[in-house]
Amino acid sequence: MVLPEQDPFETLFERGVTDGLPVVPPTRERVAAMVAGSGREAGELVALVPPNFGRATVEKIAVNAVMAGCRAEYLPVVIAGVEAMCDDAFDLHGVSATTNFHSPLFIVNGPARKTLDINCAAGAFGPGWRANATIGRALRLIVANVGGASARTMSMSTMAHPGRYTYCIGEHEEESPWDSLAVEHGFAPDESTVAAFAAEAPHGVYDHRSLRAKDLLITISRSLEVISHHKSTHHGDTLVVFSPEHARTIAGDGWSKADMRDFLWHRLRKPVSELIPGLDGGDGLPAHVMAKFQHPETDATLIPKFREPGNLKFVVAGGTAGRFSAVIPGWTFPKMSRLVIKKVQSPREGL
Amino acid sequence: MTTEEFLDPTDSVAVPRKTAARLATLDGKVITLLDISKAKGDHLLDRVEELLRERAKPKAIVRKKKPTFARPAPEDLRAEILKTSDAVIEALAD
Repeated sequence: MVLPEQDPFETLFERGVTDGLPVVPPTRERVAAMVAGSGREAGELVALVPPNFGRATVEKIAVNAVMAGCRAEYLPVVIAGVEAMCDDAFDLHGVSATTNFHSPLFIVNGPARKTLDINCAAGAFGPGWRANATIGRALRLIVANVGGASARTMSMSTMAHPGRYTYCIGEHEEESPWDSLAVEHGFAPDESTVAAFAAEAPHGVYDHRSLRAKDLLITISRSLEVISHHKSTHHGDTLVVFSPEHARTIAGDGWSKADMRDFLWHRLRKPVSELIPGLDGGDGLPAHVMAKFQHPETDATLIPKFREPGNLKFVVAGGTAGRFSAVIPGWTFPKMSRLVIKKVQSPREGL
Repeated sequence: MTTEEFLDPTDSVAVPRKTAARLATLDGKVITLLDISKAKGDHLLDRVEELLRERAKPKAIVRKKKPTFARPAPEDLRAEILKTSDAVIEALAD
């Protein structure tokens, strides 16, 4: 019998290892079953998790996955997510310690979406799917518990956003007219992968009337234009999530992802004269960039919003009804966080 | 279910965090001022340097800069600071 003062849920709150919501108590039995789901040894080191460089062994990952409410068969996806966010190119140290808003967003591609019932369709970013909710939550618990970036200590985000509870979607590959995010990055369509992307919250782009690719992309470019602020430039990886309806409109005009990147990148440049600090808002080009221009008020040199076209990342997700897309700004500071994709290593076929 | 049986979700032995012993005086010491390369970090450290020279007699004040605030200082920079300094002041700004 559990005495009131030993209530397991309260005990885990007191230990400071939850995200503010109750967690499933990580008993030995539950953790052992979770480890078994990976087909890997409990003591195997998967990654060191910044900023404390805590050791994410299969067992530590499993403990957090149990707490998050994962089923054992999700563990290979969680492990791939750990590998992705702990890759040096992702810069989890910066993403966790920054005062900015970001949280890793995990995007699953390949057969695991179906096998594990990961929602890619209506309400993809919302609640109601155990796999999305608990895989994303497990990864956030790992950031806090193993990496040390818990909300009251290391993590000093001025506001953060709700994706820091959980932030995991599948790409709606069946509704995409293009190669998936994973295939674009060199993986085979029958491989399951997890992408980690340092993401703000989704910003909705509404366009119910554009019937041509160019018109629709101009609408989307206007939302991309104001990421961070309307004079912020040189951004790194940023995600556009196209709804199936929007994707069809664009692809229906024969536009490829490369065409979209090229169009958006070129369109999203502004002349120096429109980026001057103190003119139309206090912020603007940094001093070292301004110093390069003798007469900025009349200088027409075009400064790109994104460093290179490849920084624009595209996925298709969401329900088949609704002419909405979403812009999700990435974390872009000097060396920036790159989108990183890892293959899911599964003991089972079809995952 | 007893709570003692719960496995630890943290890595309890990761990076033992023990602060170094505090210096009794800054006089005669080498002090490194580390700019993390955020905007105006140099302004803040300029003022800290002025105050240090006003209020103490350090042997030297050394200025260093991280290549980016977004990542930890490179290992060789940390090793150099550790080898040459008695104290470090790391400055944030914005």
